Amino acid sequence: MSEPLDSGTPRDTLSRRSFLKGAGTVAAAGGVLGHPAHGEAPAAPDQDGPETIEGTVEVELNINGETVQVEVEPRTTLLSALRHRLQPPLTGSKEVCDRGDCGACTVSIDGKPAYSCLQLAVDLKGKEIRTIEGLGTPERMSPVQDAFCEHDASMCGFCTPGFVMATTVCLEKHPDADLDKIKHEISGNLCRCGTYPHIFTAALDARDRMREDR
Amino acid sequence: MTCIAYHRPTSLGAALELAAENPDARFIAGGTDLLVKLRKRVHASPAALISLRRIDELARVEVGECLRIGAAVPLADLAVNEHVRERLPALTDALATFGSRQIRNVATLGGNLGNASPGSDAAPPLLVHDARLELRSTSGVREIPLAEFFRGPGETALGAGEIVTAILVDGPSEGAVSVFFRKSRVSMDIAIASVAVLLEVDGTRCTKARVAAGAVAPTPLRLEAAEAALEGTALDEAACAAAVASVDAAIAPISDVRAEEWYRRHVTAVLLRRALMRLAGSTAAVPTGGGGVS
Repeated sequence: MSEPLDSGTPRDTLSRRSFLKGAGTVAAAGGVLGHPAHGEAPAAPDQDGPETIEGTVEVELNINGETVQVEVEPRTTLLSALRHRLQPPLTGSKEVCDRGDCGACTVSIDGKPAYSCLQLAVDLKGKEIRTIEGLGTPERMSPVQDAFCEHDASMCGFCTPGFVMATTVCLEKHPDADLDKIKHEISGNLCRCGTYPHIFTAALDARDRMREDR
Repeated sequence: MTCIAYHRPTSLGAALELAAENPDARFIAGGTDLLVKLRKRVHASPAALISLRRIDELARVEVGECLRIGAAVPLADLAVNEHVRERLPALTDALATFGSRQIRNVATLGGNLGNASPGSDAAPPLLVHDARLELRSTSGVREIPLAEFFRGPGETALGAGEIVTAILVDGPSEGAVSVFFRKSRVSMDIAIASVAVLLEVDGTRCTKARVAAGAVAPTPLRLEAAEAALEGTALDEAACAAAVASVDAAIAPISDVRAEEWYRRHVTAVLLRRALMRLAGSTAAVPTGGGGVS
């Protein structure tokens, strides 16, 4: 029997709803927590969690400055945990290719951009995770969010959260980035609508605004 | 298989024992290839995954006579490592455009080589630097030249329960220079062709030449005829032209969605010509003029 690795994306075989029903029974069948891989005890009490994980476990994640407990399986990606396991869910990070090609699910992990579809949630205890929801609010947007709005840097908008995250992390790390640097740093994000000129204009404007704020 | 077991050992010994006990298990480091392949069902879901992320000894770069790159060091760290830049300039070239920032932050050199993609951008630079791989299993440790590691697309010399633990490169020779060129349609795309060249020059004479190519044969490969055409010469125009002319017979590219076979052949020759001309500035021996680079 074969099932998708990522319980949140059963697109090949099942609807999400029917799959989630099934996933509940799977979860109930697992549940062996933290038994050491060998007869002996783990070398040191491990603050990153147990050595072996089977079935469903609760993992503590630090998301946008808040510590949350999320029930996941080893195969659950961070993207799936954000969108399908959190209560309330954080759906700003978009699920598009789900295979590390498009960048729509980009988040920041310990200050570095990451495809959340290629991160297993169980690996992320103790990491500082930032999502688009952690940047700003509609009333008080971050400089990058504001610049994307002002320069009309999205068309269908599906890639936008990923671009905003990638641009934000790029400018935080490289406050003086020029256009070539920005292009290089956000080349892992794709826009099928082709809004790149506006995205680059917005990124340069955001850079200037962030410089003024320094 | 519905629920996999996920092992996260903190020592290499424990990881290898787990692999020996669980023949169906797969190792995972950055996961940028494996998770995609599991999701696309290229591989059947394994009964267990053995994560290498907590094993410190795989995550170090050690500098001595020999540069020892732990198999699980993220590529982004290698891209800015001064020892890698100094000793393996062609690899630093390749890492600058390897995948995307998000990929480089987690992908590893051991994982890339272990996947044995014909189009690996890391392989040609390491081939021209005569890299060796350290392989380990519960049976012990062995070293193998990288050139003997690749057996076909996705096929390697790794035995059951064996992993790449380090990439080894001997100290730089005096006067050695290397460079890597690739061609793809857009960033993030797999290369249509790639070429790495290393030259050692004593005065005006080339004492050692290494040429390797990617994405133009079932495995990344050394182009030994091109090397022979360069070694012992003054790297004059005739020698460079002979090296470039030897490429066609040495490669066996396919036609696919990225490029036709004839175009890959053409691009490989152009990339070699460009690489030799780029190295001209470093060695003073390679002719800088002419050459018909398009």
